[in-house]
Amino acid sequence: MTTTIPSIPLRRLAKDPVVISGAVTLLLWGAASLYSPAFATWGHIVTTLTVASFLGVIAIGQTLVIIAGGEGIDLSVGAAATLSAIVASRFMNGSDDGLFFAVLAALASACVIGVVNAIGVLVFRVPPLVMTLGMIAVVAGFIRLYTGGRPEGSAAPLLNQLVTGDTVLGIPGVLWLWLGLSVLVIWLLRRTSYGWRLYAVGANRTTAYLSGVNPSAVKFSAYVLSSLFAGVGGLLLLGYTQNVYTNLGADYMLNSVAAAVIGGTALVGGVGGYLGTIIGAILLTVLSALLRTMQIGGGEWGDAPRQILFGLVLIIVLTAYGRQKRLRG
Amino acid sequence: MDSPPFLRMSGVRKRYGGVTALDGADFEADAGTVHAVLGPNGSGKSTLLKVLTGVVGPDAGEVRLRGEPLRPRGPRDTLAAGVASVYQELSLVEDFTVLDNLLLGVEPTRFGLRDRRAATARALPWLERFAPAFGGRVPVRERVGDLDPGERQVVEVCKALVRDPQVLVLDEATASLRRGQVEVLFEVVTDLRERGVLVLFITHRLAEIFSVCDRATVMRNGTDVATVTVADTPERELVELMSGQPQARSSAAPARQAALRTAPDTAGAAAPAVGADPSAPPRLEVRELTGDRLDGVSLHVRAGEVLGLGGLQGQGQSELMAALFGSGRRTGGTVLLNGAPVRPRSPKQAVRAGFCYVPGNRGGQGLALGRPILENFALPSVGRRAALGVALSRRREVAAARSVAERINTRYGSLDDPVSTLSGGNQQKIVVGKWFPTEPSVVLMDDPAKGIDVGAKAEMFEVVAELAASGAAVIVGSSDDRELVEVCDRVLVMFEGRVVDEVFGDRLTEDTLIASAMHITGADVAAAHSGDAAAELPEPDHDPEARAPGPDHGPEEGGA
Amino acid sequence: MNLLRSPGTADLPSPVRSVLSVRMPTVAVGLLLLVTVVASAVLQPGFFSPYGLSASFATFLPLATIAAAQTIIVLGGGIDLSIGTVVTLSSAVSVVLMQGDDGRLPLALAAGLATGAACGLFNGLVVAVLRLQPIVATFATSSVFGGLALLVLPTPGGQAAPVLTGTYRMVLLLYVPIPAILLLALFLGWRLLRGTRFGQHLYAVGGNADAAYTSAVPVSAVRVLSYTLGGLVAALAGVALLADAGAGDPTLGTQLTLGSIAALVIGGTRLRGGSGGVGGALVGAVVLSLIQGLVFFAGVPTNAREFVYGCIIIAAIALAGLLTNRNGSAAGTTGGNR
Repeated sequence: MTTTIPSIPLRRLAKDPVVISGAVTLLLWGAASLYSPAFATWGHIVTTLTVASFLGVIAIGQTLVIIAGGEGIDLSVGAAATLSAIVASRFMNGSDDGLFFAVLAALASACVIGVVNAIGVLVFRVPPLVMTLGMIAVVAGFIRLYTGGRPEGSAAPLLNQLVTGDTVLGIPGVLWLWLGLSVLVIWLLRRTSYGWRLYAVGANRTTAYLSGVNPSAVKFSAYVLSSLFAGVGGLLLLGYTQNVYTNLGADYMLNSVAAAVIGGTALVGGVGGYLGTIIGAILLTVLSALLRTMQIGGGEWGDAPRQILFGLVLIIVLTAYGRQKRLRG
Repeated sequence: MDSPPFLRMSGVRKRYGGVTALDGADFEADAGTVHAVLGPNGSGKSTLLKVLTGVVGPDAGEVRLRGEPLRPRGPRDTLAAGVASVYQELSLVEDFTVLDNLLLGVEPTRFGLRDRRAATARALPWLERFAPAFGGRVPVRERVGDLDPGERQVVEVCKALVRDPQVLVLDEATASLRRGQVEVLFEVVTDLRERGVLVLFITHRLAEIFSVCDRATVMRNGTDVATVTVADTPERELVELMSGQPQARSSAAPARQAALRTAPDTAGAAAPAVGADPSAPPRLEVRELTGDRLDGVSLHVRAGEVLGLGGLQGQGQSELMAALFGSGRRTGGTVLLNGAPVRPRSPKQAVRAGFCYVPGNRGGQGLALGRPILENFALPSVGRRAALGVALSRRREVAAARSVAERINTRYGSLDDPVSTLSGGNQQKIVVGKWFPTEPSVVLMDDPAKGIDVGAKAEMFEVVAELAASGAAVIVGSSDDRELVEVCDRVLVMFEGRVVDEVFGDRLTEDTLIASAMHITGADVAAAHSGDAAAELPEPDHDPEARAPGPDHGPEEGGA
Repeated sequence: MNLLRSPGTADLPSPVRSVLSVRMPTVAVGLLLLVTVVASAVLQPGFFSPYGLSASFATFLPLATIAAAQTIIVLGGGIDLSIGTVVTLSSAVSVVLMQGDDGRLPLALAAGLATGAACGLFNGLVVAVLRLQPIVATFATSSVFGGLALLVLPTPGGQAAPVLTGTYRMVLLLYVPIPAILLLALFLGWRLLRGTRFGQHLYAVGGNADAAYTSAVPVSAVRVLSYTLGGLVAALAGVALLADAGAGDPTLGTQLTLGSIAALVIGGTRLRGGSGGVGGALVGAVVLSLIQGLVFFAGVPTNAREFVYGCIIIAAIALAGLLTNRNGSAAGTTGGNR
């Protein structure tokens, strides 16, 4: 929130997670451009942002759930994205005829996951981490039951066109969509009563309750929105890859959490925002792309060195500000 | 003064971000004394003692114990040096038994394993000593989470004592204790003094200082102002030292009372003082309400009236408010708001019906500390100003918050600063002020002035008056009888979930309230219950040994 | 005043309440165990035969050991999402050094255990000294350990020492399989640990770190040690896995982590730390394994098995959560911001 106010002292800016992660992103991008000038080309930037957009959209809901507090976390976003893509591809089956219905069915199926998560967390008081972890197993099982292990169908051409085709200014539709969703979510968090209540519930559930807010309703909606946006992310992924596989969204499970946390959304709840998550998503994607470009990984070592460096850089970035309070005052 | 003092702290400084908590404080104390540390909230007294116990690392300054420098890197080092403390925020693990808590960190071991027998041998004497404070039992194996707040505080005291301290720090240790528990504690403190232990004592209750302390150091604005011998210092002088100004407030209290009583007339609401217009219909009427700790409460409040809930602590006052506000259990009875029955099932419904609730625990229940002041102000009413119930305009929100802040005279830097950056008094004003835009018809306040200093308290009660003046019916629960006398038109004394006495008019004095609350603890509950006539009330039992834990000599002493 | 305290057990005398609140999860997981064992005995032919028992315990042990490792970490207020990769990395190190040769077994085992402990130590330092949030920190380290595991053993394979696999399948006194003895040993080891000061401090740090700190408990050291011990026990799980499968597999990571968390929650350990125990987690792991077997033997169609299994797990977790959180939740709602 602080970034909107023009007159904040530099010292505070230097501690703002959004500023730090933005700077790190630029640094990584600069390093990548030095290493391989191709990185600085327009086409490369658009590609990187496109790849980041899937993580960014899936991490919308993750950000909401984490802000809502109470150890809130949604590890089932990857599963929701996969399910949505699989349902959609089956209904679309490579044609534009059933597009509307397919999108509706896909998002509805994703929402079901959110509803079940919310019931588990709010009614049965299962810790969110465990509940959403468990949902991964259930959704994976359901996908197997639904597809028999071999997902069928493919994306509607229109969807593919929307995601990858150049629309305006050579920028693919998916980026415009991400931009639109970002504006919407940032507005939702900063300028709606829902957003303010969400922060209040996350910062202090009891206070919110005693101020006439219904914390359960707020949290319920956060979990449903989380799955919904994960479903949207799944659709976009489907449009990008055109075909589906059963662990399409698996990588987004913890990366979405990492994107939110890198962007300054603290796991304790009530702190952070979506702007940070956007930067977090871009940072993670640039890092990944950089490691790939540097040809670390591939060849005889396989994927391993890239994974190792990715983890280490993540730790370093988080050390800059993602730290918990000291015990001693 | 040949030998060095037993404890000497000099030039201690500590800043938290932009706030200076300690600004070069000096402090000396001798072994075998009970030494009080006094001061308004934010004067740095707690921080000073936390530096001593190693919980807080000072930015500058030196601590010497027995002439030796003490540079603790944490509580481990200070405990080893013989300093143990009882904290305001308890340092107990709720899942542990009492025994495990008492020995946490100092568990005796045998062959590498914890030795339960040795542990019991070490802890039991203290628990037995404090048995009267646990209602006569010795709760060795009970889970701390299952004890009530007073008992937990006693466990905390025992935990410090088990460590055989040379210096014992009691930081607001009596705040949640009952009268009998305080007595046991003071007996033990006296014993410790005999044995040469230095006891450092922080309290808001002057009466306690006069009953156990030898010396007192007064702190103000992060530094020490004076150190005095308690027996030679009149109460008035101590208060002046703390507030830093001669007692001018004594005249302010009656003025505020007057404002309270006249204001509703100007608002054209029902008569404020009880009996003035008994025919006016009550704003809120409660009939035979039952629920958790509520055993048939009946009461009525008129618009513009401030009704107090007095009596001993924990007699159902908080539960009554919770039941009215929809956050507590309600099993029977009727609640009429403006003559119409209401039965809110959640705070949300209660707020919609026109109730609001001000908790005393502002950090835990009243505020979202990490969020901006603006959002805290807006929270209860944010939906009402939003277009279509959703879209907010920042300008409108800021205007709403500013107008409330002005009305309740809150000082802040920027509305975008976290509310945690404000002082305790200003925070508490926001807890009340946030309800103004909802235009509540019934205001429920549960110990609204808890833990804020004298000046802030006065301003806080001006806000209460303001609310009543705007035509709300106000119900105030407080553990401080003086507060009730100052702010209320009428006080109901509660005992075991019932209203047992009603005090108003000339009878509304601190003495009557204490007497009424104390008397009932005896065998004649029934007698007190049946009689509400003033004539039946016995003499206040002024047993000099048994001082009430309530601040019957509050720091705002002077007027009464 | 505590406005939101739920009623329920509030009226009971406090010693009774104490017993109830402590014993409830134990009773619940005990019942679950009973139900699954009886169901297995009915549905699974030869469940109680020596061979059946041996096969069952052989599958119980790896998951149970990982669950124990995770529990030690969770009790201390942490969580380790990298634990699965610690298991795979340490077993990869072991199997590569072993090369199917009995003579190299001691060296290989020692190296595997050291690897696990080192990974745990690294996690502990990142969490306790750098003070990163455990969930994200161990996610990051899981990427590191997973990468290392791929370096050491790029594809599933390697060969465990015959002595190891042979011993693992042995049955003593006709009825007592070696893995069952190891499971018991694991539990006894835990009881011993629980009896030490560290055991007590572990619970204190997980239950209330601030209180532990002011009570002179070395909080950071306890945290580091809990992760290190967790890593060491996870390495034991790696050995068990190796002994069971006879070969290493560097890709199992995530699955094992999920299983360990599910098992400890079913076993009544509070995810926030400070309450529960390894005993429950061991039983939870056994229950999980049994359910997996049950779904197979109950004749559920192949494609529906995963789904049914997932649903049962969720139901079991919800049940355990409902019983475990009765006290915790009341504190949680009033606790507000932690």
